Amino acid sequence: MNPRARIEKFLDTASRSRLMVYACVLGLISLALMSWSLFDQGWIPIMMAMSVGQGIGTLSFALFLVIVIIDLRQAEFRPSIPPESKKSEHH
Amino acid sequence: MLYYLVKRPPLDAAGKSVMLLGLGVLPIMVAMIGNLEGFAATERQGFCGSCHTMDMWIEDANDPSSKSLAAIHSRTHKFGGSSCYVCHKDYGMFGYVMTKLGGMGHVYKFVSEWMWYDRDEVIEKIHIARPFKNQNCMQCHSTTGKIWNEVADHNGLLDDLRTDQTSCAGAGCHGYAHPFSKPDEETPSHAEAHSALQGPAPEGR
Repeated sequence: MNPRARIEKFLDTASRSRLMVYACVLGLISLALMSWSLFDQGWIPIMMAMSVGQGIGTLSFALFLVIVIIDLRQAEFRPSIPPESKKSEHH
Repeated sequence: MLYYLVKRPPLDAAGKSVMLLGLGVLPIMVAMIGNLEGFAATERQGFCGSCHTMDMWIEDANDPSSKSLAAIHSRTHKFGGSSCYVCHKDYGMFGYVMTKLGGMGHVYKFVSEWMWYDRDEVIEKIHIARPFKNQNCMQCHSTTGKIWNEVADHNGLLDDLRTDQTSCAGAGCHGYAHPFSKPDEETPSHAEAHSALQGPAPEGR
């Protein structure tokens, strides 16, 4: 299976609620790491916040975007302009 | 986020809007504030001193009785709590970036090697990565002032000092910035170091 098909299969079958749980857990971990550096300014907290913390936070937000993409793929869009009625067609 | 993990509300438009705040807006704001505060923190002595290998350098810089260049400068308001950074940062066009890259190199060396050294080994093995540039001294001591140029050694060595051929912090001039870290035979006394900076003795004296 090529990568594109694999991604599409993932988007069609993935559980949104499970992805959101992962996103929330990762988001909380990243917030904890980034907040730690505000209170303890040794080299370990600052390095962790600016590398690992932000990396995990980015991954968390990316998972949220995946959920949005899944929703958009499954959404049924209604046209904004209603079709002309049959009555007007006669005129 | 905690609310979602505990209650698992439906992921409708309103729910996702709230989650956008929690997973997008809030972490981005915390990251931005963290970056600003983090970069500012890397300029403070406390950050440099958070590696045990720098303990003695920080102790000397903050010792009110020390006469080392580091301690003398650390006592001034301009340097104060950021004295390590003010003296050792790169003042070139890309100075901030180069300083941070150099700092990353220090972190790598600390993690890979220095963290295993005790105080005695630190003194023996750790040395400055590259010769200290006079340009850093010249941020304040511009070498153009009248009083500065009236010192005979300054005047005679002006070109050498501006091109780093002679170090301001050399043994024969103002002495090492951190003399405790040098072998005794390389470290002139305070009086010796400064005797070289006196003007020429009047004739007949």
